Amino acid sequence: MNRCNRKVAGTLPYRYGFGGRHKPWRKYTVIYKSVLLENLQYVANVALGFFSYFVFIYIYNRLWGYMYRSPEELIAGYTKEQMIWYVMMTEMLYFGANANVVAGEVARDIRGGNIAYLMNKPYHYTLYILARYTGEWSVRLPMYAVFAVLIGTALVGPLPHFQWITVPLMALCAVLGITINAVFKLCISLFSFWIEDTTPFQWIYNKLILVVGILFPVEIFPEILQPLLKLTPIYTVCYGPAKLIVDFSPEKCVEILAAQAVYLAVGSGLMLLIYRKGVKRLYVNGG
Amino acid sequence: MLTAAKNQLRVCFLSIKYNIMREMVNKVTFLTNVVFMVLNDASILVQWFILFRLRDDVGGYSLREVLMLWGLVAASFGLSNILFARVLSLPDLIINGKLDAFLVQPKKVLLGVLTSETRISAIGDLLYGVILVCLCKPGVGGFFLFLLFVIMGALAFTAFALLLGSLSFWFVRMDILQNQMLMGMINFGTYPDGIFQGDARVLLYLLMPVGMALWQPAHVMACFDGKMFLAVLGYVLLLSVAAVAVFYRGLRRYASGNLMEARL
Amino acid sequence: MQAIKVENLSKTFRVKRKEKGMRGSVKAIFHPQTEEIRAVNGISFSVKEGEMLAFIGPNGAGKSTTIKMLTGILYPDGGRVEVLGIDPTKKRKQLAYRIGTVFGQKEQLWTHLTPYDNFRFFGAIYDLSEQETEERIVELAERFELSGFIDTPVRNLSLGQRIRCEIVASLLHKPKVLFLDEPTIGLDPVVKENVRELIRQMNREEQTTIFLTSHDVGDIEKLCQRIIIVNDGQIVLDDSVDHLKHHYLEKKDISLEDIIVEIYKAQGEG
Repeated sequence: MNRCNRKVAGTLPYRYGFGGRHKPWRKYTVIYKSVLLENLQYVANVALGFFSYFVFIYIYNRLWGYMYRSPEELIAGYTKEQMIWYVMMTEMLYFGANANVVAGEVARDIRGGNIAYLMNKPYHYTLYILARYTGEWSVRLPMYAVFAVLIGTALVGPLPHFQWITVPLMALCAVLGITINAVFKLCISLFSFWIEDTTPFQWIYNKLILVVGILFPVEIFPEILQPLLKLTPIYTVCYGPAKLIVDFSPEKCVEILAAQAVYLAVGSGLMLLIYRKGVKRLYVNGG
Repeated sequence: MLTAAKNQLRVCFLSIKYNIMREMVNKVTFLTNVVFMVLNDASILVQWFILFRLRDDVGGYSLREVLMLWGLVAASFGLSNILFARVLSLPDLIINGKLDAFLVQPKKVLLGVLTSETRISAIGDLLYGVILVCLCKPGVGGFFLFLLFVIMGALAFTAFALLLGSLSFWFVRMDILQNQMLMGMINFGTYPDGIFQGDARVLLYLLMPVGMALWQPAHVMACFDGKMFLAVLGYVLLLSVAAVAVFYRGLRRYASGNLMEARL
Repeated sequence: MQAIKVENLSKTFRVKRKEKGMRGSVKAIFHPQTEEIRAVNGISFSVKEGEMLAFIGPNGAGKSTTIKMLTGILYPDGGRVEVLGIDPTKKRKQLAYRIGTVFGQKEQLWTHLTPYDNFRFFGAIYDLSEQETEERIVELAERFELSGFIDTPVRNLSLGQRIRCEIVASLLHKPKVLFLDEPTIGLDPVVKENVRELIRQMNREEQTTIFLTSHDVGDIEKLCQRIIIVNDGQIVLDDSVDHLKHHYLEKKDISLEDIIVEIYKAQGEG
């Protein structure tokens, strides 16, 4: 069984007139903006998706309500409020920036042969996908953020020790986390150049993120495992941003941003490498 | 009457057989789908080991009871998606006029539609559920009780999805609602009912078939209760009849894609 | 004996309309604005057993809607239908055993299976025994010349091959009435001619009643004795093809195609 978010947005027509040869990034901002505008039409569909998010938060609220025997108890260093807010933030990122759509589309493009047309456009295919993905979550995530704050305040009360001044750093960390996640999911989808169906691998990646990153903070795992978990991308994708929101400290912030920079570099390098190998294979085998 | 039922079953069986045959064409993909789904389901065990490290019970359930509940939900969902996976695309079939081919066949429309797709990964779900319950050593009687409840659970899943999907004959965006409610049913169903109290609990018995089709069977498996056993069977039967009735009532409003053409 | 009897048949569709902008989207979530479109508006006609009838009209005239009501796919809003003495709204399954349908633009075959497996499946659907199914497959495969590709998955067939298979699948159970909705759409002239010949043969040898819609005048000219033209959900002409050809507009040497175009245009102006 899998949690699946249905694709709420339609697909964008592939043809665009791109101008501005001198600014190589301009085309990606144009793609981003077009998708953003298109997704604004699906605001109502996104709102219907709140139901699943609410169900999750509700269950976790009740679950931790049962697990904490007294209001003062600390589990793995977290108060009950922090623990619930932690899940709320990771789930917000999961639902608000769901990358399944992108991953599925890449796999379909490659298996369906559409890639042949997209490859020869004057942009890099993987960056094109990332720009589109960013356009999608730019609509969804802020909506989820507002919803999360509302139900969080209603169900568990405001976050203790929250400081508005740290919000920009949290946002930066969240955006990096989302992008790293998308890059890794893209890498898996790019294996469609070699194998027929990459979705089973996406399931496993999703489940790892879910079990190890979304549901619990790293501190809850046995101590022997913790250093190992900190080495996985999960640490930078979910734990990092959520930890900063729930329990901000400057040292943690620097540590997480540094880890994210490393992962983004490694992930992107991997992505470009796989893509290049895949395209080469396509040329050799003729699609 | 009897031959008609036999012929109908023969067609359903052939339909599912052909679905699976199609997926078997690529054996590697078929196997990865099944095996990875088992792994995928199994990975959630981590969550429960963590929770049971913190306390001896969760919502009054022991680890064994949680695993039995999980086994029941996974197997029910799996069976439903092996036999009747098309129910999940019912809104699409209704809105885009794809029921025509089933309507010109001299067989039950609904059974024809539902059995026209099989999700291969669902075999993994069913397998996982059965393995998990076997590991809990339920005994021979307990195992047969489990199988019976899996059939009931699969019927409840299908009926609930059918009920919501059939609303597409009247309303828009039922595909999203159907998806959300089914995910909700699975999510609630895989947590012990003891953590929910008060009104929420009532809603989970009324709004979704979580209470009667998943939690109560888990209770009956842990400690047999004849009355509740019969109540579960009665509930699932009633839900199925209601869902079928709504589908056939809606079918009169079916527009066969002509609506799309007229939309210009 | 009448094969098809239709009296005062009507069907109205409610078409959704979305208002522009955010407010329109919000309003449309559960309560979209609708507008009524009368696709079929009180039509009556009958078809004799063994007759070959062309049922034509411009796009959106109500042809498909009518054919779908006759076959039990759509539920009429008003009027009465009887096909072979059976009301499709009440006894859909009983009727389905006795009619065949071919929709040129919608596939009934399973594309991942071979035609042979498809036919076996259809045999089971129509309650034919294994032996009956085999015999009928052999007979039709020979007549429709399927032997070259009967074991190739349908998705790998050409359109012409596929249409032939669609027709065979709809004939397995020896239907008394065959409904064909644009059966030759997208086919090349040679295959078209081939398909027409097969339909003619079916009509001759098994006395199958043929109810055909098509935009291809060749289909009508080469197959049908009678023609019904509908427009805006109403019948505007019901005549024999011969009579239409020789007496309409009192002009000689005008093709059937031109006559039909004239009628469509006259409708558009009126």
